[in-house]
Amino acid sequence: MADLQIDQVTKTFGDTQVLKGISLDIADGEFVSLVGPSGCGKSTLLRIIAGLEGQTSGAIRIHGQDVSGIRAADRNLSMVFQSYALYPHLTVAENISVPLKMRQLSAVQRLPVIGPFLPGSRDKNVEIAAAVKHAAQTLEIDKLLDRKPGQLSGGQRQRVALGRALVREPAAFLLDEPLSNLDAKLRVQTRAEIAELHRRIGATFVYVTHDQVEAMTMSSRIAVMMDGEILQCDAPDEVYHNPLDIRVAEFIGSPKINILPTEASGGVLRCGDVLLPTLAPNELNGPVLLGLRPEALRLASEDAVLKGQVAHVENLGSEIFAQISLVGQEGRVTLRATPVQRRSLRIGANVGIAFEGRAALLFDSSGKRVFNPHLIPAHSEVA
Amino acid sequence: MTRDLWKHLILILGALIVIAPFYMMVSYSFKSPGEIDRGEGGFFGRQEMMVDERCVKLRDPNREDVAAAVPRFPNKTDSQIRDALVAEAVSDCQMRPIVFNYSKAFTEAPLLRYLLNGVIVTASIFLIQIVVALPAAYALAKLKFWGREAVFSLVLFCLLIPVHAIALPLYIMLAKIGLTNTYAALVVPWTISVFGIFLMRQFFITVPDDLIDAARMDGMGEFAIVWRVMLPTAIPALLAFAIFSVVAHWNDYFWPRIVVTGNRDLFTPPLGLREFKGDGDGSFFGPMMATATVIVTPLIVAFLVAQRRFIEGITLSGMK
Ligand SMILES: Nc1ncnc2c1ncn2[C@@H]1O[C@H](COP(=O)(O)OP(=O)(O)O)[C@@H](O)[C@H]1O
Ligand SMILES: [Mg+2]
Repeated sequence: MADLQIDQVTKTFGDTQVLKGISLDIADGEFVSLVGPSGCGKSTLLRIIAGLEGQTSGAIRIHGQDVSGIRAADRNLSMVFQSYALYPHLTVAENISVPLKMRQLSAVQRLPVIGPFLPGSRDKNVEIAAAVKHAAQTLEIDKLLDRKPGQLSGGQRQRVALGRALVREPAAFLLDEPLSNLDAKLRVQTRAEIAELHRRIGATFVYVTHDQVEAMTMSSRIAVMMDGEILQCDAPDEVYHNPLDIRVAEFIGSPKINILPTEASGGVLRCGDVLLPTLAPNELNGPVLLGLRPEALRLASEDAVLKGQVAHVENLGSEIFAQISLVGQEGRVTLRATPVQRRSLRIGANVGIAFEGRAALLFDSSGKRVFNPHLIPAHSEVA
Repeated sequence: MTRDLWKHLILILGALIVIAPFYMMVSYSFKSPGEIDRGEGGFFGRQEMMVDERCVKLRDPNREDVAAAVPRFPNKTDSQIRDALVAEAVSDCQMRPIVFNYSKAFTEAPLLRYLLNGVIVTASIFLIQIVVALPAAYALAKLKFWGREAVFSLVLFCLLIPVHAIALPLYIMLAKIGLTNTYAALVVPWTISVFGIFLMRQFFITVPDDLIDAARMDGMGEFAIVWRVMLPTAIPALLAFAIFSVVAHWNDYFWPRIVVTGNRDLFTPPLGLREFKGDGDGSFFGPMMATATVIVTPLIVAFLVAQRRFIEGITLSGMK
């Protein structure tokens, strides 16, 4: 187990720069998710950490040691691939034992037929078999040890891939979208199991995903990547409630955050015909994007500042998401309501919308977060 | 319905055309020379007792034989004893045509030795071809290095060179280093199979990169990846290649004929067939066809045994 340091790593494929100077410190035992849309360079970064791909510039340090030029096999990292990448010709037990065999047996001891009879290989093989059994029991696949990968379901293959990573004690685990080939139900279940596994073995995990829900539910920290840059790396809560960039705000959270284009002048935001007082810093002028999470919005009486018509309602049972077209605005905002409010959310009904001033997230025209230096008083309602 | 019928008729016709020479070969290997000449006797021939003229001629009694036989035939003149001896020889040299053909195939020429040579040569060629082609194909399919495309173009280019065009230079080189009339001469020129490299490369391209990366993470070096990951996953493709390689070299007449001059110990099975050509007493079709049958039998048996996997191999559906 060890800490990882990613220091100003860049990567260029031909003419395109895929990673634009990534820096990230991952502490020992941390579970860090790299999350971002497809093609933003997450896998590339993970492969550079693993040593499967060379960086164009920058350095990777494992436990303080620069590993540039050390090949993947010698970095002592384990990786789980999106496609599982199990050896199709080996049984589950053999698949899981490969990393141990390659490391603990000498080249001669690995030879087929005569290898097992050489001095010393017997003891080591017994040890390896025990380790494989233990890993299989941890993942509850000990009944499948004699099967070939072709005879397993997706979820079982996924576990075998985890087992192969788990069987030795690597400096860190690298997981590249390990759940994306599973069906939704299994994904939720395995998500919890991986998080639990991390808690139990306390190893360093770097987890790549494009699914923000996975990142939110599993990680100690989330690094949000976009276009080859890390926009923000913080605890899930912080990333959700305090995004530093509008792209982070838009990527994290489902349903998506509501963004209203406004004009700021003298501390007042003008949103179409509507004036929203006390939200913006006094010295801020010009276009400002106002971000409001669906759960920050509440239904209010029809004389509230923001008014609209219910356009569409999604009832999830435990909660209701209503899309409301605002008066005098293009587009809709999404609002989260409780099932009790179901009745006031008839399609076409006129409703008012209220929110707490502190819940408003302001971004300048370049998408950077604007903080209001004058603390918005608690419970300052915009209604 | 009728379209299927036509399809099948055409296929059956095609199959008959392909099978006809085999049918002749096997049928001739059962028949007596007379039946072959007159074209009678159906598939198996009548299997009537026949007399091996050469056998009789070899036992033609001379004066000592006659003198030695006097005690067995008392009160007979020399010419009577002679006739009796000839009659004995004729009855000893009588046998069924099938026995005649096949025993001739094995006794006239050391066919077992030839078969063994064939096995040694084809197996060596195939093994070395794999040892060379797999790493080369792996590098061409999965490693990034400067000039990879150029090397692959060279491979494709080499596919276009007919062996007969380079046979002479090859022969001269082998002769210069004194390798003619050795197993090496039969094996070495075929050890680098561009076709094998090409075929395996095409297969390796379909192996997911993740699998190779996983092997690297598991601690394998590039050669370990070739032998422990690529080879086992490529078994179907290898079998497909084995068909081409083994059949081509087992049946090859051209090259062994060039580099093996005189030393019958190095003859491969097809060269063995030649032993029956232009024999003193006319064509020797029965034993010749028996030899041919013996030569192709190992291939056919191997094919039947591995039929399912061969067809898999040709469709290259090993993964997934
Ligand atoms: N070997 C490569 N050669 C050229 N471009 C590549 C290569 N690998 C990845 N890329 C490009 O780099 C970008 C990032 O890829 P990747 O790291 O796989 O994204 P992600 O995993 O976030 O979806 C993509 O635009 C992809 O096309
Ligand atoms: Mg990816």
